[in-house]
Amino acid sequence: MTIAPNSLGETDSNATLALTHDLDRSGPGSGRPFATNEPGLIRGNMISDLERGRLSRVWSHRPQFLHLGLFITAYVLGCGFAQSLAIIPGTGISIWPPSGLFIATLVFASRYSWPWWVLGACVAELFSNFLWFHTPLPAAFLIFAGNALEAVTGAWLVNQTCKRPVRLETLRDVLAFVVLAAGVAPVASATVGSAALAWFGIQSQSFATAWPLWWIGDATGVLIVAPLALVVFQNWRGKAQLSAARWMEACVLGLIFLGIAALSLSGYLPFAYIIMPPLLWAAVRFEFRGAAVALTVLALITAVFTISGASQFAGDPESQKHNQIMLQLFLGISAFSALVVAAISRQHQAAVLTLRESLEALRDRERELSQLVDMVPSHVWRLTPDGEPTFFNKRMVDFLGLDVTDLDKQGIGRLAAMIAATVHPDDAAAFGDTLSHCLATGERFSMRYRLRRADGVYHWMSSRAEPMRDHAGLIVQWYGLCHDIDDQMQAEEALRRSELQLQQMIDAVPVRIWSAVPTGGPVYFNKRYQDHFRAVIANVERLREPRIEELLQELVHPEDAPEVLRTLLTCFETGGGSAMRFRWREKDGYRWAECRVEPRRDEDGAVVQWYGVSLDIDEEVRAREALRQASDKLAQATQAASLAELSASIAHEVNQPLAAIVANSHACHRWLGAVPPNVERAKITAERIIRDANSAADVVGRIRALFKQSTETRTNGALSSVIAEARDLVTEEAMRRGVRISVDVESDIPLVALDRVQIQQVLVNLIRNGMEAMDSGADDGVISIRVRPIGDVVQTEVRDRGRGVEFPDRIFEPFFTTKEQGMGMGLAICRSIIESHSGRLWVEKNEPRGATFIFTLPVEMEAAS
Amino acid sequence: MTVDQLPLRRSTPSSQQRRAEAEQPLVIIVDDDASVREALSELILSAGFLPVSFTSTRELLDADVLESPGCLILDVRMPGTSGLDLQHHLAKNGNPKPIIFLTGHGDIPMTVQAMKAGAVDFLTKPVRDQTLLDAVITGIAVDAKRRADAVIVKRNVERVETLTPREREVLREVARGRLNKQIAFDLGISEVTVKLHRGNVMRKMEAASIGELIRTWETLPAPMRQA
Repeated sequence: MTIAPNSLGETDSNATLALTHDLDRSGPGSGRPFATNEPGLIRGNMISDLERGRLSRVWSHRPQFLHLGLFITAYVLGCGFAQSLAIIPGTGISIWPPSGLFIATLVFASRYSWPWWVLGACVAELFSNFLWFHTPLPAAFLIFAGNALEAVTGAWLVNQTCKRPVRLETLRDVLAFVVLAAGVAPVASATVGSAALAWFGIQSQSFATAWPLWWIGDATGVLIVAPLALVVFQNWRGKAQLSAARWMEACVLGLIFLGIAALSLSGYLPFAYIIMPPLLWAAVRFEFRGAAVALTVLALITAVFTISGASQFAGDPESQKHNQIMLQLFLGISAFSALVVAAISRQHQAAVLTLRESLEALRDRERELSQLVDMVPSHVWRLTPDGEPTFFNKRMVDFLGLDVTDLDKQGIGRLAAMIAATVHPDDAAAFGDTLSHCLATGERFSMRYRLRRADGVYHWMSSRAEPMRDHAGLIVQWYGLCHDIDDQMQAEEALRRSELQLQQMIDAVPVRIWSAVPTGGPVYFNKRYQDHFRAVIANVERLREPRIEELLQELVHPEDAPEVLRTLLTCFETGGGSAMRFRWREKDGYRWAECRVEPRRDEDGAVVQWYGVSLDIDEEVRAREALRQASDKLAQATQAASLAELSASIAHEVNQPLAAIVANSHACHRWLGAVPPNVERAKITAERIIRDANSAADVVGRIRALFKQSTETRTNGALSSVIAEARDLVTEEAMRRGVRISVDVESDIPLVALDRVQIQQVLVNLIRNGMEAMDSGADDGVISIRVRPIGDVVQTEVRDRGRGVEFPDRIFEPFFTTKEQGMGMGLAICRSIIESHSGRLWVEKNEPRGATFIFTLPVEMEAAS
Repeated sequence: MTVDQLPLRRSTPSSQQRRAEAEQPLVIIVDDDASVREALSELILSAGFLPVSFTSTRELLDADVLESPGCLILDVRMPGTSGLDLQHHLAKNGNPKPIIFLTGHGDIPMTVQAMKAGAVDFLTKPVRDQTLLDAVITGIAVDAKRRADAVIVKRNVERVETLTPREREVLREVARGRLNKQIAFDLGISEVTVKLHRGNVMRKMEAASIGELIRTWETLPAPMRQA
């Protein structure tokens, strides 16, 4: 880890946390207060900051006191062990276990804590020197410096080379450790130590003789102790993971190992290397830990036997040096072999484990895939390039109730057998054709067909298959997928059926239905409508995109079309529904129809669609028309009857006295003509004649009085409203006769005194006369009524375009008529009414034809003023 | 019933002569209008006939004057039973009294109906005196003839009623123009007996010849002839 110079405080303490994690768990706890308690340092000099930062980091990485104490103790014991092995008289050069401990500790510890360990080692070595070596202090310090240099170099190189944490589990790690920590690093210590010995002349050692001994001693120390130390560090808090069998094996191995070691080293066995098999056994079976422990044990046993002199490495002083080297070589080779074998075993174990795991994973995967294929809710199948089925997944087998092997029959192939057994007879031919086409061309297969389920029920299936090709492009297999779309098909079928039903209903109902989008363009017409189009419009195809205006022009009676269009456009504009009646053009004439329009709206209230329905109401309208005509006739008949009755009654009333007068006159004449004349009777009859004549005069007087009776009911009224009422009364009749009534009343018409009912009768009479006059002729029948004030009268004109008046002078005489069914009383009564209102009624001829009846009514002076 | 007694007493000598014949014809006038009724009575009286007037048909039927000789002058239009209804009623009861209709305002269908039913005339008011009087004379003459025929028929009926049933049978067969032989065969009697019956019939019917007997037979009412 590189630490940027300016990364301070919190960041640094975090970095140290990672570095000290393994060895020293209290690191972060001790580091944090330091960093946070010194905020002021950050503002000081950069360099001093850096130094202080480093120092603070070193301080924060101080090891636990217990760890340091144990380290010092172990170091001192290691020195003692070395001293006890220093068999060569006068030299302390032998196996040097502290070097292994030192390197292992530094390898394991964070780099920032190294000063502490170096300091601890220094204390331990100087203390050992005081106990055993008794070298002069400068020399001892120099020697320690060499040792420290060796440990730092070795640890640095191993850390650089090996992956942290260093576990020596791979061959590469072991070799790096052996070469760098046990081979290269001791060079420093050997050089410095040998030079120191030579310089200070201690035990009369020359540099050349001391160096190899020193190097090999340190190397052996590293090889034997460093693994053990690493094992101890790494398992400091770890739990024993060995099973009972392994423990048993470990014990047996330990016994064998101890026995062979004891026997071989004590000389009962020919040579020391016979220990190799159990040692390698330990390395193979217990790997790094086994090797480390066995090596340590071997070193201890060897040391014990050598010191006690029982070992073959013990001997006379001449051969002592040689033996010493042999001993160290024995230990070194043993250690090297054990570590290498342990690493290989470890690697092997790891490889075996990995293999087992990958095998397991592979099996899992295969199972998952197979489950996937079987559990996927579809049929999965496979065909040979010839189309022979070779695989059905479980669902398909369950569905069909047969597997591919069940299709093997005599005479026919599997495919043919499958089609015969499972595909619906109606679909079988198409299925076979499509599949063989696909097989021949390599095109993708896709089809819907009915497949027979095991219980005999056919289900709709959607099937697809694609070929898998090899590098050369040849088809190797066909893979197919097939899912049950029966529900979907059923739903689609139901939908189609309901749609059909709806369509049939829409087409069958005896109305015309249409719909349009909000912009007003027609989008749909039901069949009746379309039939209507075809029947009425000459070439329907011309109106591919019919516009409403065009359609209306084609379909609606020209008189109604503008009104209908206007109503429709208003609907579309305002969004309101409407109902209207108009005449459709049909193949043979026009028929009345009623059309209702309503919009459909979405949630926001915007119009989504317009719907219209048109209903034939021709019979209804005609029936009503007939009814109206009948009632009109009835009214007319009533009126005629009353008029006839009136005139008959008048005739009778006048006729009776006349008849009496005539009869009496004859009688009188006879009495006087008799011989002799009966004057008395003649007188009586003459008196009766006078009486009857007076009675006739009375009748006439009474009739006249009839029209004068209404004087009291007169009110001051506006003529315009009377005209409007009269017009309402004749509207129906006018429509039936095809006559238009136009009314033009000038503003500011003064009030007139009138009997509303009588004036109404006059108007109705005049209008009806006009209409009857136009019956036989022009189709542009118009009755124009015009009212205007002239002087102190209000003049009303009723103008027609009829035959005109042949006898304008006689027309107002009673019983004068030009009509076959008329009494000739209407105009006479009209004139009487008008005259009783102090007005005048006369007629003028129109140019080129027609007549204008004009009547005046005097302005009511009181009302005017 | 308002029979004008005054004119009766002061009737002309000719009318008095006819009255002396006991059965002077009556001219019955029915009109709801008093002045018309009065004037018509006056006219009939001045012409020398005997008028009797009623205001309604109801009053006429209650008066029991229809059996007397004469004729009827009816106003068509009257409150209650109209003139045409009365004509129908009389025809139904076998009283063929001649009727002259008077109307203020007649129409063709009404006229046709009245004439078909046997009216003497159909006149409109006001009526000329001669027209009315001619109709009245015709009516009276028709009535007198009918009455004379009725007397003969009555006499003949009475004579027939004196015949025995067998004689009546023989009379009917003879009237049908059958020979004695045929009659004897049909009735299952001898020809001599037939001749005997026939002689009795001729005698009782006071017929001088077979032709007279047959004419007498023809005057009998139809029910009697068929019985």
